[in-house]
Parts: sequence; structure tokens; C-alpha cells
Amino acid sequence: MKRRAAPPRSIARRADAPVDLAVDVGPLRLRNPVLAASGTFGYGTEFLPYLKLADLGGFVTKGLSPRPRRGNAPPRTCETAAGMLNAIGLANVGVDAFLEEKLPALRDCGTVVIANVFGETRDEYVQVARRLNGAAGLHGIELNLSCPNTEKGGIAFGVSPPLIEEVVGAVRRAAPDLPLIVKLTPNITDIAVAARAAKVAGADILSLVNTFLGMAVDLKGRRPVLDNVVGGLSGPAIKPLALYMVHRVHREIDLPIIGMGGIASAVDALEFMVAGSSAVQVGTVNFFDPTASTRMVGDMEAWCRTQGVRRVRDLTGTLRLPAGMPGGRSAP
Amino acid sequence: MPFDVPARVLRHEALNPEHFLITLEAPRLARAARPGQFVMLQVREGHDPLLRRPMSICRVPPGGRTVQILYKVVGEGTRYLSHQPAGARLKMLGPLGNGFALPERAPRQTARRVGTRRPILVAGGIGVAVFPFLAETLQRLGRRPLLLFGARAHRDLAGLQLFRARRIPLRLATEDGSAGARGFVTRLLEPLLREKPRNGGVELYVCGPTPMMRAVGGLAVDAGVPCQLALESQMPCGIGVCLGCVVRCAPQVGEPVYRRVCTEGPIFPAAEVAW
Ligand SMILES: Cc1cc2nc3c(=O)[nH]c(=O)nc-3n(C[C@H](O)[C@H](O)[C@H](O)COP(=O)(O)OP(=O)(O)OC[C@H]3O[C@@H](n4cnc5c(N)ncnc54)[C@H](O)[C@@H]3O)c2cc1C
Ligand SMILES: Cc1cc2nc3c(=O)[nH]c(=O)nc-3n(C[C@H](O)[C@H](O)[C@H](O)COP(=O)(O)O)c2cc1C
Ligand code: FES
Repeated sequence: MKRRAAPPRSIARRADAPVDLAVDVGPLRLRNPVLAASGTFGYGTEFLPYLKLADLGGFVTKGLSPRPRRGNAPPRTCETAAGMLNAIGLANVGVDAFLEEKLPALRDCGTVVIANVFGETRDEYVQVARRLNGAAGLHGIELNLSCPNTEKGGIAFGVSPPLIEEVVGAVRRAAPDLPLIVKLTPNITDIAVAARAAKVAGADILSLVNTFLGMAVDLKGRRPVLDNVVGGLSGPAIKPLALYMVHRVHREIDLPIIGMGGIASAVDALEFMVAGSSAVQVGTVNFFDPTASTRMVGDMEAWCRTQGVRRVRDLTGTLRLPAGMPGGRSAP
Repeated sequence: MPFDVPARVLRHEALNPEHFLITLEAPRLARAARPGQFVMLQVREGHDPLLRRPMSICRVPPGGRTVQILYKVVGEGTRYLSHQPAGARLKMLGPLGNGFALPERAPRQTARRVGTRRPILVAGGIGVAVFPFLAETLQRLGRRPLLLFGARAHRDLAGLQLFRARRIPLRLATEDGSAGARGFVTRLLEPLLREKPRNGGVELYVCGPTPMMRAVGGLAVDAGVPCQLALESQMPCGIGVCLGCVVRCAPQVGEPVYRRVCTEGPIFPAAEVAW
């Protein structure tokens, strides 16, 4: 058998060098760029049988409201092509139970813990943020702007730039000590407009995207499958839509981005970084592959090693666009 | 504690064109399993379908290194599963869920002792899949389980050999009368509930389609007989994090609540479920 020639020394050395996976995302420093997304990771401890939380860059809790919420009537979910719809109705234990029962259990978990926050009114967002400000073991808050505003006829906060400015500004003042991530809804004509409003009001970081509105029909019964009629679409099906939105916001707004939407592998995650994300969140994949998040970290490192990328953060926003086309084509 | 393992398919038998018995190698999972628990099983590689399917642990065959799953092809996912050959590896997460509350071991020779309830397993259709493991475990605890099995037609009475091999007495009902009594399984149950309780009476373990469980649960509650229901639900995750699988429950004190079928169940006392 013929022996393969040894690789040139420079490449050999490069391939052996450790890859630096750490990323800075605004005021947050993460061990690696992979976080678990809100609503798909419980309060963290649910995953202890499957992985070490310290192997993640961090995770985001289920959305927290001032009081516990039961959520919507079942059926709450429906599988769709390469995705799923959910209308959980933001069921959660409430911010007090989170602080008393859930957060203490995470004291020594060794990773960044972010609390996802929502409210049906501006004041509810503020109440939750104020309770969380200064909580030991909490590293940041993420505002879910996809929640309907009950004082404004049920339109989502995140589709109205004035509402975004109002709620983000109020939370900024209520929780001055915590890094503030604003999570954008994709259910808007131009997501850059929402991103700009969040920036003006004091967001440190943008995360995008939340789920896309969708529905499923039970043909035989001529009924909607979900009791709530409408749900949020997530999973691999939404990846191209989400990737485009990350690209768009990255070109338009100067704030660090945590990208998400259908990420199921290290390659998916790295594509989001190249499109402009500093870190990523993984959601629906946690349901059908509970160890995917931490395996992704290892695969990311391996990819960087074989490609000679020494620091994963160097990939952020390195998309090579066709000459003369700074933002990409505006129409297909 | 649950395990997520790439389980190898050791055997995959078609019991009839719609019903399959698959044997998967997963020693740690098999050792940890209790009757009434389930697994989340990948039906094939890739994202079509995206989610794993919840499947009851039908049996842990002697040796304790494998689990068997009895399933019916009802849609895409189960159809893909039925094409998996021996030797394939499928990701399997489990054992999950609470499992049945089991009676204490009966002291020797006292299975008929006053105060010992006779376990009656009430199955509707493919719901029967949860019972072989339970029946064998009850036998080991010195009990004498009786299976009441109702289905649409003769060909839906799948897995009977799993009970016959253990000499578990069974009574059958079919809606079209093609085997056993004609009608619903409740027809078999009602006389047993009416009988004057001898030797401690009976207790029910129930699994089947929702209307059937509603009916049987109602009969049991009215008769004051202990009754555990093995519920089904759409289950994206199986581990309590998506909150998708909930069922409405009315606890004895306080407001109705939504409970997660995957982690707070799938076994619930009939008296608690408020459909
Ligand atoms: C805890 C638990 C244990 C289960 N154990 C078994 C088992 O041992 N053997 C077995 O054959 N099946 C079992 N099931 C049901 C099984 O999970 C479904 O049949 C399967 O997910 C269907 O997948 P599919 O892609 O083939 O069908 P789909 O295309 O998803 O559905 C086809 C049809 O089946 C109905 N359906 C799908 N899932 C369910 C469900 N969970 N409950 C009721 N109706 C459903 C749909 O409404 C549709 O009409 C169990 C379910 C649960 C929750
Ligand atoms: C069942 C479910 C529940 C969710 N709950 C929340 C939530 O409470 N707050 C929130 O901001 N996003 C929530 N999300 C959205 C996810 O965090 C994520 O933005 C979205 O699912 C897209 O990512 P994915 O395709 O990787 O899942 C939820 C998603 C799912 C599927
Ligand atoms: S299936 Fe996800 S919480 Fe039960």
C-alpha cells in the first residue's frame, strides 16, 4: 500500500491548534456560541439526564410572566413538513416560582442563564424585569416581543415600532443591571424596522427569530388542528426564512445578533454566524434530539479545525456578497 | 433515569399487514423500564418526519437486554418505521413517564385473600400494547390479571399470543362480531363491575382510544373501583419541556390544571382526568 504523503507542516500545525469557541455577544461572554432557545429547554434541569449544561454557551428559560399561567387548551401542537406548529399559550410557573425554585437549582450549572420575559401589557414586562434584576445566578434577560398586547387589541408588541420602543425602554429602566436581549418576531413586513426600534430603546443584543404564524387544517373534520386555530411554526422548515432575516438585520443594524430558526446541526449554526450572528439558539431540535445542542458544539469545533478557522467568532458576518450588492438582491 | 441510545433492531415481525412487533437492543434502557412507561422512537433518519414517536414498552423479554414495541401503522411515521430492517439503528429515548402504580407482592398462596383486588386490564385496539409487560409483572407479584380486549374487528386483536404464552385469561369483543362478543369492551366489563365484590373486588388498568377510556373511566369511578388510565396525546418531546402534551385534570382540591401526559403521566387515576 502506498503511504500518503505527510501534510505540509504549516497545515499540520494548524489542524492541531485548539479552536477558540468563545464569543462575546455585546456584554455577554459565552464559552461557545450555542444556546438553547426559550420554550424548548424548560428551566434547564430537565436536560441534566442527557447533557452537561456547562458544555453549552448558555440557555434561555421558558417565557416568564408575573403570575403562573396554565396556557391554551389542547391540542397545542401539530407536526408539519420538517417543522411543527405550537400554541402553548405561554404556560409557565411565574417569575416568583422561577426565582424561588428554578433559579437556585441552577447556581452551579456552569453556564450562562438567560430568563425569557413576556407580558400582556407593558407593566407586566416591567414587573417581571424588576423582579429579575439583580437575581443571583442570572446573566441576562430576553424580551419576547411576540406576545399579544391586551391593551392594544391583541396586536403583538413586536410588530409596532412605537410599542417596541415603549416596552424595551421601560424594561431597560426596570432592569438596568442585566444584559438586555430583545427577541424579534418575524411576523412583520420588514424586520429591520423592529430591530432599529429595539436599538433606539436601549437593547444590548437582538435575538431572531421567534416562530412564524401558521396553521393546519384537519380536512375530514374541516376544523383547525390546533384548539387555538393559529400557532407558531418552528423547526428546519423555517431555516431559510430565518437566515434571510438575520442577514437583513445584520446589514442594517449595528447590534450583536443571536440567530435562530430551524438550526439542527453545526453546519446550520455556522451558516447563521456567517450571515451575521455572533451566537445561535437551538430550539425545536431539542425535542427530537435532546443531545443535539452539545454535540453541535463539538461538531463546530471539528469543522473549524478542518477548515483552519482558529477562532469561531471570526466567522460572524463573513458572508461574501456579489460585488456591487451590499445588502444582497432586494427582489428575487 | 432515561437514556438516549442508538438502538439496534434485532427482530421486526409483521403480525398482520398493519401490526408489527419490533425488538430493539438497549440494555440499560431495558433494565430501567417499568410497566406503563414509554420511549420516544425515531422512525427514520432525517427531518421527514421531524419528531420521534411515543411508543409504549410492550415487553422486556427475558435476559433484560431488549425492549419490544407493538405498534399499528396509522400514518407516515409508523409506515416508515415498519420498513426498518433488522440491523438498522434507531435513536430511542427512555424509559419515560411514570408507569403504572403496582400493587404490593401478594404473600404466597393468598392471591384470593380478602383485600386483594383482582387486576383487570382493559384494552381498546392498539392500546393493548402497554399490557404484556404489565401482565407479566403482575403475575410475578403473585396476581392473576384478566385481559378484556375490544377492537373493531378480528384483525385488530393484535398481540394475543403475547398473553396466551403466559396463560393470561382473556375475553374478547369486536364491534363487527368477527371475534368474541359483539360490541364494545365495556360490554365485557359491565357485568364484572356489577358482581358483588368477592375477595377484595377488582382494580382496572385501561388503555385505548380516548372515547373508550372516557367510558371505562366513568364506569369505574361510578362503581368506586380503582382505575388507572394510560393516556395518549400528541407528544413532541416526551421529556416535559415543550408543554404540548397536556390533558385537563381536576384535582380533588383546587382549580383544574393542565398536566403533561409525558412526565406527570402517561398513567393517571381515572378520577383525576377532566377531559
Ligand atoms: C405514551 C404513548 C404511548 C403510545 N404507545 C403506542 C404503542 O405502543 N403502539 C402504537 O401503535 N401506538 C402507540 N402510541 C400512538 C403512536 O405514538 C401514534 O400512533 C404515532 O405517533 C402515529 O404516528 P404516524 O406518523 O404514523 O401517524 P400520524 O400521521 O402522526 O397520524 C395518523 C393518525 O393517527 C392519529 N394519531 C397520531 N398520533 C396519535 C396519538 N399520539 N394519539 C392518538 N392518535 C394519534 C392522528 O390524529 C392521525 O389520525 C402511543 C402514544 C403515546 C402518547
Ligand atoms: C413549543 C415551543 C415553545 C416556545 N416558547 C417560547 C417562549 O416561551 N418564549 C420565546 O421567546 N420563544 C418561544 N419559542 C420560540 C423558540 O424559542 C424559537 O424562537 C423558535 O422555535 C425558532 O427556533 P427553532 O426553529 O430552532 O425552534 C417556543 C418554541 C416552541 C417550538
Ligand atoms: S411531550 Fe413535550 S411536554 Fe410532554
